[in-house]
Amino acid sequence: MKRARLIAWLSRYSTIVILAVPILLVAAFTELIAGTLLIRLVTAMFVSMIIVLGMQVFMGNSGILAWAHVGFMGIGAYVAALCSMTPHIKEIAIPQVYPFLLNLQLPFWLSLLVGSAIAALVAAVISYPLMRLSDAAAAITSFALLIIIHAVLVHWDRVTNGPRTLFGIEEYTTLWISVSGAILMLILAYFFKESSLGLRLRASREDYHAASAMGINITQVRYLSFVVSAAIAGFGGGLFAHYITSFTPDAFYLIETFNVLAMLVVGGPLGISGAVIGTILVTVAREGVRAVENTINLNHLLPFEVIGLTEVFLATVLILSLILRPQGIMGSRELRWKPKQSSGEANELDAQPASE
Amino acid sequence: MLQVENLQVRYGAITALRDISLKVEEGELVALIGVNGAGKTTTISAIAGIVKAVNGSINFRGHSLIGKSPEVILRMGIAVVPERRHIFPSLTVEENLRLGAFSRHNRSEYRSDLDETFTLFPILKERFRQIGGTLSGGEQQQLAIARSLMAHPQLLMLDEPSLGLAPTLVDQIFTLIITLRSRGTTILLVEQNVERTLEIADRLYLLNTGRVEMEGSPEQLKSHAAIKDVYLGEGKAGGNQL
Amino acid sequence: MIVFEFIINAISVGSLYALIALGLVIIYGILKMVNFAYGELIMVGGYLLYLVGANTNIPWLIAAVIAVVGAMVVSYLTELVAFRKVREKSLTALLITTFAVSTLLQNSALIIISPRAKAVALPQIFSTTITIFNITTSMRNILTIVVSIAMLVGLTFLFRNTILGIALRAAADDFQMTRMLGVPANLVISSAFVLSGAIAGVVSLFWIGRTASVTPTIGLGPLLIAFVATVIGGMRSLVGAVVGGFVYGLIFSFIGVLLPQVLLDYREAFMFLIVILILLLRPEGLVRVKYAQERVG
Ligand SMILES: Nc1ncnc2c1ncn2[C@@H]1O[C@H](COP(=O)(O)OP(=O)(O)OP(=O)(O)O)[C@@H](O)[C@H]1O
Ligand SMILES: [Mg+2]
Repeated sequence: MKRARLIAWLSRYSTIVILAVPILLVAAFTELIAGTLLIRLVTAMFVSMIIVLGMQVFMGNSGILAWAHVGFMGIGAYVAALCSMTPHIKEIAIPQVYPFLLNLQLPFWLSLLVGSAIAALVAAVISYPLMRLSDAAAAITSFALLIIIHAVLVHWDRVTNGPRTLFGIEEYTTLWISVSGAILMLILAYFFKESSLGLRLRASREDYHAASAMGINITQVRYLSFVVSAAIAGFGGGLFAHYITSFTPDAFYLIETFNVLAMLVVGGPLGISGAVIGTILVTVAREGVRAVENTINLNHLLPFEVIGLTEVFLATVLILSLILRPQGIMGSRELRWKPKQSSGEANELDAQPASE
Repeated sequence: MLQVENLQVRYGAITALRDISLKVEEGELVALIGVNGAGKTTTISAIAGIVKAVNGSINFRGHSLIGKSPEVILRMGIAVVPERRHIFPSLTVEENLRLGAFSRHNRSEYRSDLDETFTLFPILKERFRQIGGTLSGGEQQQLAIARSLMAHPQLLMLDEPSLGLAPTLVDQIFTLIITLRSRGTTILLVEQNVERTLEIADRLYLLNTGRVEMEGSPEQLKSHAAIKDVYLGEGKAGGNQL
Repeated sequence: MIVFEFIINAISVGSLYALIALGLVIIYGILKMVNFAYGELIMVGGYLLYLVGANTNIPWLIAAVIAVVGAMVVSYLTELVAFRKVREKSLTALLITTFAVSTLLQNSALIIISPRAKAVALPQIFSTTITIFNITTSMRNILTIVVSIAMLVGLTFLFRNTILGIALRAAADDFQMTRMLGVPANLVISSAFVLSGAIAGVVSLFWIGRTASVTPTIGLGPLLIAFVATVIGGMRSLVGAVVGGFVYGLIFSFIGVLLPQVLLDYREAFMFLIVILILLLRPEGLVRVKYAQERVG
């Protein structure tokens, strides 16, 4: 009996290992053979993976569209950048910066944590009442939230430098840092999903009324997952800031939202494996098309410049994926090691397909 | 006229109909009875094309209804008055009726149909311009039936038309069903009011947990023990579990 | 007199916003789908105006008809090619599809035409002003009001008096039941998209008329307006959308005058804050339906 339970436990958490090992291999491989350009691409991919995982925590488990997610990424990015920049650079980069921010300087890792914490804090303060809403109302409010966050980032000159580029951020996010971050968040997202909180949230996704009849406080479980999701997004935002080193508020708006949604939806929002696989596949496909686009433009193969091909391609893939596999490549499955005498208690919710 | 054989329907993991076979002949008034959750509404919905059959056949005048959409099935001559009426609450009585005649294209026929509706349902004439959602329950029920009749169905399926109505209104509805039938409309009726149904139906099917438990004339069913227990005497528990 | 000019301006904005909101709600009412690609229909109209104006000698009025028809066709196609296939799945999938279609259309414009703004030739009448009773206002304002009101009247007639219009309203009440009365689902949905496209096309004429240029992202502004207006007025009813559009147009015009410049920067954020508050406190919007939602017995 004990052995059976151990195997069940191993099987359940084997997903983490099955996902983390290839990620580490990819990173090691890149480090060994690739040039700087590819290293940067892979670094960016793992930063994206963190954002996608963060979105999965809320959207995948609750079934509610989360437009505002990239906004929290933006908050994390700006806060982390402000924390890590030297006063000297800050003075140049943000001419009107508040004096108390000017002299603030924290080590990189602490900046990341502060960015993540502030994103979570903002989510915690504003989101509770929103969690009552479902369907179209939920979609519109969270979209509204994205617009509000964007508007604040654009107009709060004394913190963000307004719509102008914020530059001068140190490039601290190396390949290994972004890989470690991705694996860390992967573990967090997976444990969240398997936790009793995650289970209750998924129950509410499958059947709202049955779940609330079971005594689940749906607003509350949604709220907690939203805050966790914002924290992960904020953390990813901090890494992004120290990878890209200069950005504007537009980096955290509709285009990025589209990217993140495409990755999550193509892979399958219901599970962690889907989020990871979607990020990798979409990144590879996107960079492939982008290379084609660049080749065309650099060699003047066409009489005009091609801009937007990548997005057209991605949008088409996303639409096809929604038509053909609305639950993504992975559906509600996880990559998992299954011993021969498979145990019944592995996961009841995974056994049945999610209701549409 | 209508022939259902070995019909099986599922809602996700729940099997609502396991094996239903029934037939309705031209001009008949056939009733489906059974405890809550027996599968009466599901049977009607499957015939109307609202839910998909997993297995079995549904034939209407020699044509299969399997895989046909609700709008096509209506045009073939089968109309439904669904459970809980489903009138359009934001449309006026007039608009509800006009939409009932959507499948017919003759304007003068529409006028004469309206006159006929008003003789059957005088209250609808009074409420002609009122918003459907503001009608009383009984008025809504009459509107729902009248609306379905506008399509001149050959087979009319009524799902619990007396649900939630006061006794006098229940009388009215049953009288109406008799009138419709005497005019030659074939009717498939779902009812909880078994006593009244036994009085007017030609044949009945007793459904239980997605199966036909018994079929026969009112006399045959009256003598059946289950009917006595559940409908005409003390209810016994356990009938409505899957 | 400046007050009257301001009022005419506000009414012009309000009636245009009412139209914008109506185009979104027609779809929402039936499919419960917020069409994120709605703004791109306006973009399509704008680019057609530009293309016809820049490449041919066709008079503006005919170009305008082409723009409206083009928006109708694209709207119909988005439904046919994308939304129809996802419709039966989940609402979330449908919403993401509309967002993907929006991105697709925007970037197609980027590829086919240009990422840079294109100047659109406008007829003389758009830039003239007239003076009646000492009130000076632009013809564009008057035209916007007249055409918007004419559209609203026409649509009211359609919805009240034609069987198609009644079927559209019925479908918004109870889609399944509409089909059970013999109304083909695809007919209803396609018509709704065609109508929504027609409205977007007309809106594009006046939206472009303000700036005389078109860009791939021009649709975002009207989309956001439609969101705010429909939430203010109530997403369930067509009347609500129109009321919401007018109210938003008026509020927007007044805020522009009353708020100090510092806060004016946050006008959008402020409007969306109102949206969130309304959805939380009064989700049915300003216009309540006159009957209880679920009435049994
Ligand atoms: N949409 C649905 N999803 C899941 N299960 C359903 C659905 N509709 C019906 N069922 C189930 O199918 C079974 C048959 O339901 P049905 O509505 O046909 O019963 P009924 O005989 O009409 O009952 P009643 O007399 O209460 O109207 C029930 O167990 C019910 O719970
Ligand atoms: Mg029933």
